[in-house]
Amino acid sequence: MKKTVLGELEELVLLVVAASSEDVYGVPVMEQLQQQTGRSFTIGAVHTTLYRLEEKGFLSSSVGGATAERGGRSKRLFALTAAGGQALLEMQQVRTRLWQSIPQGKLQLLGLSVNPM
Amino acid sequence: MKKPSKLPSDPDGPVEDGAFQPPRWADRLLEWFVAPHLLEYVQGDLHENFRKRVAQVGPARARREYVRQVMHCFTPFFTRRPAAQPFHRFDNEYANPPFFAMLSNYLTIAFRNLWRHKAFTAINIIGLAVGLATCLLIVLFVVHELSYDRYHADSDRIYRMTLYGRMDDKDIDLAYAPGPAGQALLRDCPGVEAVTRLRREGAFLVKHHQDIIKEENVAFVDSNFFSVFSIPMLKGHRVRALTEPNTLVLSQTVARKYFGETDPVGKTLSLGQLGLFRVTGVCADVPSNTHFHYDMFGSLNSVRNGSKWLASGAYTYLRLRKGYPIQQVEDQSRGFVARYIAPEIKEFFGQSLSEFRQKGNRFGFSFQPVTAIHLYSDLDDELEANSDVKYVYIFSVIALFILLLACINFMNLSTAGSAGRSREVGIRKVLGSVRRQLVVQFLAESVLLTLLALGLALGLVLLLLPGFNGLAGKQFTAADIFSIRILTGAIPACLLIGLLAGSYPAFVLSSFKPVTVLKGGLQAGLRSGWLRNTLVTGQFVVSIGILIATIVADQQLRFMQNKKVGFDKEQVLVLHDTHVLGSKFDGFKSELARLSSVVGVSAAGFLPAGASSQSVDGIQVRNGARTVIHRSKGYFIDEDYLPTLGIRLVLGRNFKKASPSESASVLLNEAAVRAYGFGNPAGGPAGSPIGRQLSTVGDGTEGSKRTYTVVGVVKDFHFESMHQHIAPLVMFYGEDHGQLALRIRTDDLPRLLNDIEQRWKAETGNPFAYSFLNDRFNTMYQSERRIGQLFGVFAGLAVLISCLGLFGLAALTTHQRTKEIGVRKVLGASVAGIVTLLLTQYLKLILIALAIASPIAGYTMSRWLGDFAYRIDIGWWIFALAGGLAASVAVLTVGYLAIKAALTNPVKSLRAE
Repeated sequence: MKKTVLGELEELVLLVVAASSEDVYGVPVMEQLQQQTGRSFTIGAVHTTLYRLEEKGFLSSSVGGATAERGGRSKRLFALTAAGGQALLEMQQVRTRLWQSIPQGKLQLLGLSVNPM
Repeated sequence: MKKPSKLPSDPDGPVEDGAFQPPRWADRLLEWFVAPHLLEYVQGDLHENFRKRVAQVGPARARREYVRQVMHCFTPFFTRRPAAQPFHRFDNEYANPPFFAMLSNYLTIAFRNLWRHKAFTAINIIGLAVGLATCLLIVLFVVHELSYDRYHADSDRIYRMTLYGRMDDKDIDLAYAPGPAGQALLRDCPGVEAVTRLRREGAFLVKHHQDIIKEENVAFVDSNFFSVFSIPMLKGHRVRALTEPNTLVLSQTVARKYFGETDPVGKTLSLGQLGLFRVTGVCADVPSNTHFHYDMFGSLNSVRNGSKWLASGAYTYLRLRKGYPIQQVEDQSRGFVARYIAPEIKEFFGQSLSEFRQKGNRFGFSFQPVTAIHLYSDLDDELEANSDVKYVYIFSVIALFILLLACINFMNLSTAGSAGRSREVGIRKVLGSVRRQLVVQFLAESVLLTLLALGLALGLVLLLLPGFNGLAGKQFTAADIFSIRILTGAIPACLLIGLLAGSYPAFVLSSFKPVTVLKGGLQAGLRSGWLRNTLVTGQFVVSIGILIATIVADQQLRFMQNKKVGFDKEQVLVLHDTHVLGSKFDGFKSELARLSSVVGVSAAGFLPAGASSQSVDGIQVRNGARTVIHRSKGYFIDEDYLPTLGIRLVLGRNFKKASPSESASVLLNEAAVRAYGFGNPAGGPAGSPIGRQLSTVGDGTEGSKRTYTVVGVVKDFHFESMHQHIAPLVMFYGEDHGQLALRIRTDDLPRLLNDIEQRWKAETGNPFAYSFLNDRFNTMYQSERRIGQLFGVFAGLAVLISCLGLFGLAALTTHQRTKEIGVRKVLGASVAGIVTLLLTQYLKLILIALAIASPIAGYTMSRWLGDFAYRIDIGWWIFALAGGLAASVAVLTVGYLAIKAALTNPVKSLRAE
């Protein structure tokens, strides 16, 4: 399979799904994203990203239970796949390598306090 | 890591409450655009989020946010339907094959079907092709008409100045302006950038070496003419070519005619009495879509230009500065009357401007955009007979109607033709075709047919082009048809027609229930015939309407040609340009008079039809104490004129030959006697006009004012076209040598002509040209004749197309009623009875169509007739004739099918049951 590139939102959404203890659907993903980043996302954008990740094989989905506040509509629940986990790991490695290549004290020189990852 | 917290509010309460519901319209919108397989989840999430926001920020803001959220879902991702979604394919292994995979099958089936029903296909394609061809031709015509004078650079800033006014209760609307007006415009109106003038001096006999050729299209123009009008200069200087007197610019064609391939610049030509002209330039031929067509442009200062406002004229064009409104120039031109014309009124009429105005007389100038001249201007002395926007409308409407007819037809025939294909539809449905696929299949077929028809139509147009050019007076070539503009219009239009016309059969056929169809049941969709009946009625409304119009136009034309015009227009030969004979004129005239087959000869510069001298004069009549000036047309005739033309004298006497007193005598027509208040034209108690006196105003100088005595009254004759009532006419004694009229009586016309030509050649080297008075008379009504002929052609086409449609409908219904007819025959119906049964159905439709079409066509044509001062009445028989024609053609069309159906052996038609 060809190397799949992850966009920023895709990565964030993938991380949110990975971080949840059970299968999640659109609304909690959106809320979590808002909480963590402070930016607002629309349901449409979140759904688009979730489906795209599923298409790439990083997530799997199933149909979940309906509730009254949804007007009796069922949820589409997403879960992380092995490939998704692998992609996250690779991404983290890339980041770590890049972090390590920053020269010592450079960020401090710019007046920034850095918490090492 | 986290779970969505449970909703804090009561789950049952808000669901019922409208305020806590997301906006219904946004939900509807969402349901409409989001693909069904995604809808449930995204809508669920949206609702859930909405409820949370209601609790957090209140319902109003939550609803606003909801709408925003919904709008954000309007992306290709959500709107794309599952067929194109790659991952969706796993959900449905037996998906429909894509459209293009089936296309080859559709085409194969389409061609097989068309081939199997050759006659039907041919009727269908020919009907549509004829409609399309007509439409294409009309579009060509209309586009050309609308393009007049639009090619000039800044054509939107070029205007023509014209003179209007009222004198002696007669309106004056001239296409030209007084000669000095152009200069005055430049001087007094800052908004005028350039003024250019054009004068015409009639035809010239142009002499080049030994050849003398008559040139009709000669104009004299200001030197900046070619800067205002964008006619390209091929040789010579655009601005300086026409600055000197006696210089000449030739059009390319004429330059080639005189000088062949050699460079004409610097060569000379002799123009009639104006003498030698030096050619200083060659311009491109004036484009056909221009309101004038001249081949020779002389410099304006080579001819006499009057300096009087009231006694000179030139076609005056002006170009405005950018952004300058024409109204401003119009306002400024109002001052011209007081400033320039008032002194001349004093000089000519001996009145002050206010006295002049008190009598209801006035003068003014109007400005028409150059682009509007061809279609909207109908003034006196136009450079060329202009067209009328009315005809553009009429033809556009006709084109639309014929196209509509053709489409309706195509629809009817396609439906009828596909009626036999219900089994195919059934089988396709059983094998898994969905409705949409069937619709696509039938639409593809109808588009295919339309494109075939378009091909045929283009061929037809090429074939008909010469005839059409003759009818419409245009010069279109194949290049005009295959121009990008026409084709880019025609091809999408055809696709649209194909889709529209194919939609009805497509949707009807695809709605069949396979069970019913395969069982051999009746097709409900094809039985309800009201739509097709309406369509056929509509077709006949249009064709009967056009038929009525044709008959009326034809009758009016006949009426004009056969109406007693007051002179005998048969057997009159007119020789042109006899003024070139000069002093030999009288000798030639008496020589002709001696010929045995010539009954009479007269100098006839003034003629009631075709080229004629013009003379208008103010006639002063003393009526008691009051003096009234009438602006009347005048004729200068000799003593032979009345007998030669066959004009009857009602009262008094004709002019006497060579009597010195005759120069102070005049003849009047009956209209003039009435207008001048000279009593009864026929004499009687009201007093005889004979012996009454009148005088001419002339050009205002004392010498040109003369007094005349009335010696006779001639019967009214039509010296103008029948659009106008017969106006007052004053006939003075005098010879106009412009033309010679000969009343002839011969069985051997070629010999007589040859005879006269020999004598002409003996006298002069000028070309011999002649015409017959009745031909000249007929060409006066050429535009009416043209309209009549075009209507005739369109009526024929409309009836043809309608009949094709009727044929299709009849074929379909008789096919459906096969069993009914079988049963009727078994029960003892006669062939005649069945034929009548089938026919009455259609005759009813035609009767309805006639009832609808008659008032519409009758009203429209009475408006058309309103243009004629002498016109026919629209009788009921015209409507009856049109209806009868339509009905009989319909009977012929349907009769064949009806008889065929009635003759079928009932055993055959009932066997299947």
